[in-house]
Amino acid sequence: MRVLEPWVADPLTEFLRESSARLALIMTSSGQVIAQHGFTRSLDVMAAAALGAGILATTAELARVVGAEHGYGVVVHQGQRQGLWLAGFDTPRGRWIGLVVFGRESSVGMVRLFFARFTTDLVAAAPQRSAPRELLAEGFERELDQSLRALFGRS
Amino acid sequence: MNVPHWEVMLREVTGIVGVRGALIVSADDGLVVADSAMDGLETTDVAAFAASLIARALRTTTAMRTAAPSRLQVSAEGGTLFAVAGAEPLWLVAVADTTAELGRLRLLLGDLAVVLA
Repeated sequence: MRVLEPWVADPLTEFLRESSARLALIMTSSGQVIAQHGFTRSLDVMAAAALGAGILATTAELARVVGAEHGYGVVVHQGQRQGLWLAGFDTPRGRWIGLVVFGRESSVGMVRLFFARFTTDLVAAAPQRSAPRELLAEGFERELDQSLRALFGRS
Repeated sequence: MNVPHWEVMLREVTGIVGVRGALIVSADDGLVVADSAMDGLETTDVAAFAASLIARALRTTTAMRTAAPSRLQVSAEGGTLFAVAGAEPLWLVAVADTTAELGRLRLLLGDLAVVLA
């Protein structure tokens, strides 16, 4: 697991342990990665983040078109061997997105249950008094790049 | 058999003294298909956990090369969870406290699972 916000680590670890999820990606609503678990290639992380954010943005627009006033909070794709859970949630740092891939050792119900706990734990763990970190700051991409290099053994 | 019929069926289960809730669970995804429960019993959570138990039991019997389980019973200090297989992938699940008439509950769940199948 790799996190750019240290306070995300404990709730995410607990979520992964309880849900038996295979992959997890926490990102901002614009697709900037906050934390990841299970991805083995940096390119996959960036692509999954961008695609996940895009899917939720598309779904939000679709909800508007069909008159779903409160939108759709969760998108689930269920396959033969694994499923994908994609959900937006509010944090003190703005709206974030969770992308979770789970196999037959878990289920939509388990991911739903523990993802709800994860978002609650995350909000509780968020630093209250520190100034919001500017995720679009100049150093973000460089820091992320360094993190990814370290994570994937290319430092 | 449709959702209104299922709800009547589930209310029959919760009519037994000590039964806190009954639900039909899709074991594939751990989601509630229909439920009847007392306040305070989170049937969505029960469905997720029950489906997880069922999946583990299925993996275990597969590894043992024995028949797939059709009934599960988990007893704890505060009560008992029963799960009975219906038509794939549905399971009938009941949560009972320590005062429940477990024999009657077992019989009724068995009868209703046949209907569900």
